[in-house]
Amino acid sequence: MLTAIIKEAWISIASYKLRTFLTMLGIMIGVAAVVMMVSAGQAVQNRITDTFASMGSNLILIGPAELVTGGVRGGRGLPSVTVADVAALKTLKDVETTSYLMNAAVQAVYGSRNYGVSVKGTNPDYLAVNNWEIEDGIMFTEKDVRAAKPYAVIGQTVVDELFGLQNPIGKTIRLKGKPFKVIGTLREKGDGLMGDDQDNIILMPSTTVRQRIAGSPRPQYTGIAFVKATSEDKMELVAKRVEYMLRTRHRLKDGVKNDFTVRLMTEMVEKVRSVGFVLSALLAAIASISLIVGSIGIMNMMLVSVTERTREIGTRKALGAPNSWIMMQFLAESVLISFIGSFVGMVFGIAFSQLGGHLFGYEVPISIWSVIVSVTVAVVVGIVSGLMPALKAMRLNPIDALRYQ
Amino acid sequence: MAEKIVIDVQHVCKTYFMEGGTSQSVLKDINFQIKSGEFVAIMGPSGSGKSTLMNILGCLDKPTSGKYILEGYDIASKDDKELAVIRGKTIGFVFQNFNLMMKRTIADNVSLPLIYQKVGETERYNRAVEMLKKVNLIGYQDRPPSQISGGMQQRVAIARALINNPAIIFADEPTGNLDSKTSDEIMELFTFLNKQGITIVLVTHEDDVADYATRMIKISDGHKVYDGLRKEYSKEKEIKC
Repeated sequence: MLTAIIKEAWISIASYKLRTFLTMLGIMIGVAAVVMMVSAGQAVQNRITDTFASMGSNLILIGPAELVTGGVRGGRGLPSVTVADVAALKTLKDVETTSYLMNAAVQAVYGSRNYGVSVKGTNPDYLAVNNWEIEDGIMFTEKDVRAAKPYAVIGQTVVDELFGLQNPIGKTIRLKGKPFKVIGTLREKGDGLMGDDQDNIILMPSTTVRQRIAGSPRPQYTGIAFVKATSEDKMELVAKRVEYMLRTRHRLKDGVKNDFTVRLMTEMVEKVRSVGFVLSALLAAIASISLIVGSIGIMNMMLVSVTERTREIGTRKALGAPNSWIMMQFLAESVLISFIGSFVGMVFGIAFSQLGGHLFGYEVPISIWSVIVSVTVAVVVGIVSGLMPALKAMRLNPIDALRYQ
Repeated sequence: MAEKIVIDVQHVCKTYFMEGGTSQSVLKDINFQIKSGEFVAIMGPSGSGKSTLMNILGCLDKPTSGKYILEGYDIASKDDKELAVIRGKTIGFVFQNFNLMMKRTIADNVSLPLIYQKVGETERYNRAVEMLKKVNLIGYQDRPPSQISGGMQQRVAIARALINNPAIIFADEPTGNLDSKTSDEIMELFTFLNKQGITIVLVTHEDDVADYATRMIKISDGHKVYDGLRKEYSKEKEIKC
């Protein structure tokens, strides 16, 4: 019986091709939008998580304290962790390595070319901590840091802007009028989380930056320090030790707040992940508005169809169709429209999200959830939007229906 | 001809209750029997109640009081689901405006009642072709009804009415939308089918059409005013019975 009903429903919707297609279009767009938005949300979420993970999930970040005035957060305070602090932290138990950054924005000059770059003074461990790789040449060493050598390891944007097609290794660039020798180039990383150009970077020994570039009145302080724990499960413990050591070194008395903040990468990943999840849910919720519009479209079309086919319904009833059959047929029509629309929408949604991912350089996962959600939505939308018209058809009095003009 | 009673109408009344508490009595104490193989014309002027009677006979409506027994089924006691089954198995309908599904093939139209009896697709098609032969429409099965004339469309509707081997065929003004020549053809087809033993009840207000029937029941103002042989009918013989 079900096969016969589905076949009847199929023939009925196939009889009005354009109308059926236009009705399906609403659902197609709705489902495609949901699939694309969910995929986009997931892609961004994965990208963020991967980025954090690539930096090492067992990383502890130490930054300036938060400024709180009268209970209101007022941004970050001045840097408080010194290079010496970072070196001392390396001696702590269960710490694999430490690193730090001193940031400066300066104009780099080579020959007649110049370009505004972000200079980061650090130690050689920064590469490992931040997942950078050397493309060409070498990274400076601890010895170079101690000697404050005027060495520069430059990112791909700097290579392109200053050297074009020339090999930059061994060349001398000038920053603030002082010469620096390019000893290595970094492998391209692409845009960062906020769309910033990560490759517009020059790494230098921190001592070099402090002595030759940073015009900061507090050159001995780091912008941000990194402590890499030996394993993820030791992080809490290491964080406690870091806090204790820094409080001791900064001579903070009991009751005085920390003049630094200690954050665990795992916590941040978790936070970002939950933000990403909310973002995905929000995007899906917005996209589902078009699904609702699509389902209203189905309901509208089915109501028109019931009115238009009133006499057919009367005839079918006169010829022996039970009420349940009439209801099932109209329900099957709306479910079929919704099902086909959802399926096509899902295919387009996946295709477009893959295409979009390809264009923007994101890896977009094909989520099994997209499929499950699409099919569920199809059936639910089909039933919900088809139920009222189907009940209307079922309740039609055959005598009135046969008389309908 | 067999003498089995197919339709037994006993004291049937039909009253419509309107909003505001008023009511309108459309059929008043109707009694008659129709035997298997009869060809009966139900006549009457507009508003006489003949269509209401036809709806009750066709199990599309139930009497307010009285009894209607069709093929042994007491119709008044059946629910909608049971009535649908009875309609599907024992009744064939022919409507004034054919009521064909124009977007479907003629075979689909003819075999429609069989779907509700869970007959398989191939058998439905074969039986439709067989019925179309009976109404002289061989070779038309795969076309849509829009490609054939009104008379042919009515013949398709007759084939549809015949497909489930019904005990009785109800035809409601079957020639109302046809010209006189085509009307004659359709009525001759009914006569032919009747001669093969099929019971036919038709509602009409046209004397020419009623002339094809052997028996006539006339309704006026909700009362049966004549029930007898069509050829013996005269206005003077009408009585409220």
